[in-house]
Amino acid sequence: MKKLALILTLVAASAQWAVAQNDNKGYLVGSYESNTIVYAEDAVTNAQRPDGNFASNNYLKADYYNGNFSAGVQLEAYQPALIGYPSNLEGARLTNYYMQWSDGAFDVTAGTFYDQFGSGLLFRTYEDRTLGVNTAMMGARVAYRYKNIASLKALWGAPRLGMEPFEKTQVRGLDGSLSLSSLVGLSGVNLSLEGSLLQRYEPININAEESGASPSTIGWSARMNFESGGFIAKAEWVDGGDKIHTNPNYIIDNKTNVVKRANAQLLELSYSGGGLGINLTGRRMEWMESKVSYGSSETNNALNYLPALCAQYSYAITNLNPYIPQPGTTVGGHVNSGEIGGQLDIYYNFKRGTALGGKRGMKVNLNFSTYYNLAEEGSWMPKTLLWRNINVGVEKQLSRKFKMQLLYAMQEYNHSHGVGKGTWLSNIVVADLLYKFTPTFSTRAELAYLVTFEDKKDWMSALLEVNFAPSWSLFVSDMFNHGSTGIHYYNAGFSYTEGRTRVALSYGRNRGGMVCSGGVCRPMPAYTGGNLTISTSF
Amino acid sequence: MKKLIFAALALLVTSVAMAQIPSVKVEDGKGKVFNTSELVDGETPMIISFWAVTCKPCIRELDAIAELYPDWIEEANFRVVAVSTDDARFTAQARSLAEGHGWSDYTLVYDKNGDFKRAMNVQFTPQVYVVDKDGKIVYSHTGYTPGGEYELFEQIKKLQ
Repeated sequence: MKKLALILTLVAASAQWAVAQNDNKGYLVGSYESNTIVYAEDAVTNAQRPDGNFASNNYLKADYYNGNFSAGVQLEAYQPALIGYPSNLEGARLTNYYMQWSDGAFDVTAGTFYDQFGSGLLFRTYEDRTLGVNTAMMGARVAYRYKNIASLKALWGAPRLGMEPFEKTQVRGLDGSLSLSSLVGLSGVNLSLEGSLLQRYEPININAEESGASPSTIGWSARMNFESGGFIAKAEWVDGGDKIHTNPNYIIDNKTNVVKRANAQLLELSYSGGGLGINLTGRRMEWMESKVSYGSSETNNALNYLPALCAQYSYAITNLNPYIPQPGTTVGGHVNSGEIGGQLDIYYNFKRGTALGGKRGMKVNLNFSTYYNLAEEGSWMPKTLLWRNINVGVEKQLSRKFKMQLLYAMQEYNHSHGVGKGTWLSNIVVADLLYKFTPTFSTRAELAYLVTFEDKKDWMSALLEVNFAPSWSLFVSDMFNHGSTGIHYYNAGFSYTEGRTRVALSYGRNRGGMVCSGGVCRPMPAYTGGNLTISTSF
Repeated sequence: MKKLIFAALALLVTSVAMAQIPSVKVEDGKGKVFNTSELVDGETPMIISFWAVTCKPCIRELDAIAELYPDWIEEANFRVVAVSTDDARFTAQARSLAEGHGWSDYTLVYDKNGDFKRAMNVQFTPQVYVVDKDGKIVYSHTGYTPGGEYELFEQIKKLQ
């Protein structure tokens, strides 16, 4: 509380000072988000409940801008945290606060900040409230940009773990880029080289030290970007530094830990033009998991970003078994050094007036992705299938009032994450139909069916939504596992939006499984209850 | 202590003017870094929509506007800026999706590090803003319900 008052006073005082300096008043923007669940008992789904059957996640954020100066705070309150969220989120705290000054060339930040090097394989700190991730660095950052030619960034700090910076871990980083094409004045072509260095320091215990581990390690990343006429190629090579893992051969050599050198490679090719968007991505990674602290196994304990590079689905039934990347582990004595795989993603727009496009055009999307674990350490050869997905989507406005989207997906999922070879194969079809009675009154229906001979067998789901634009939306839905458990996962609710304020209330059953956002997932237990979400910004 | 907080907040409010487009670094469709303040041209108002490849309602909203854009542009002069909030891993996918959805009339912006999103305090997507020719935010809306695009156009017409 004291800290909050102090910081608010500082921010307010500097705002007043800025106003006094020039007539140009600054402005304040902020937002508030509250997500509250009242949990109900539900023996059918084995639903989990917290003590008191009540949980609430709350976030208040405010930022002040004046010319080149900005400052901001974020308050978080978990009373307690919703179930399934990392257990290190508890109580109320002023979690983030920063001051920043930037002009066209220089950018200086003190306090909390988010950043990433390249694709985030080496280093990324970010916030994702769906996952309960906020790894903001507490420290300082200086960046300098020379025209469009070169940039250099240096940062230092302690990443956040749970409610506060984890000060035992100190991170220092350097990141630079050089545009060769701008340097020689080429037009129509972009060619740039980028590189990063990252030092991570965390004291280790005597056992880890005796196993040959060191508290400090340095990793690097080298990148090349090329772009010309709709064609883009990106390549990245990462040496992630040393990682300390539990020793799977403890009984044989009597050491508690093993030290593994992390490395990753990423290649991305894409083309877009004439209504066609196509991209091909390949990634191999080994021992790449990077943690804020060795001592925590929470899902928000991450210092880099290793998302699943595959189709990102938005229908519940297509996310029953999402792909979880395998960056390398020795947990349970099973050594799996990493994975290799890739995806192909194609979007095409059949324009109006063409044979397939018809009067209103047609959009199609195709995604193929597959991942394997590595044959052995250091290898580039695939071994066991971890994941395979093919999906085709078609979207067509059939008449002025009726729009149809169809999706077919085939997913093959290794449920032991590569320990065994067994996979579950599912075939899924989804129809998403929108009918507009008037320009602002519409209904939307989602009908889906999943066929599989494994796990819990077949599922089906239906959703009906009624919309009164721009404020009201009501829905009822049910996802039904009729193949095995016979459980209905029903939900109903509404949302009301007025400008920047949105209130949503729903009640229903939620199955246990994975909650994913941006290709990163966290486990979530089954729960039943009423959910109130309020968000506003000003 | 509470009094102090209130006093500080009150002081802040007195120094606040109408929110406008902040100045942060983003990338254009070709990966070139530019400043968001350059979006303001002093002549045309714009609709700024924050979207992501995993956000179905965002894509629906931008598709709906794309469908109506040829008619609307005859009645009012404005631009549509689609800001992809996808991080570096999904930028390529976002670019392909924009191409495959025929958003060729839009100004496409890629906010890979989330700086624009944070500066505008976008918590949920879709989040859409109507901004006047001088960069002042005159209207904003969270979430999308089919037909919600008509309200945006009403706001744009008021700015002509």
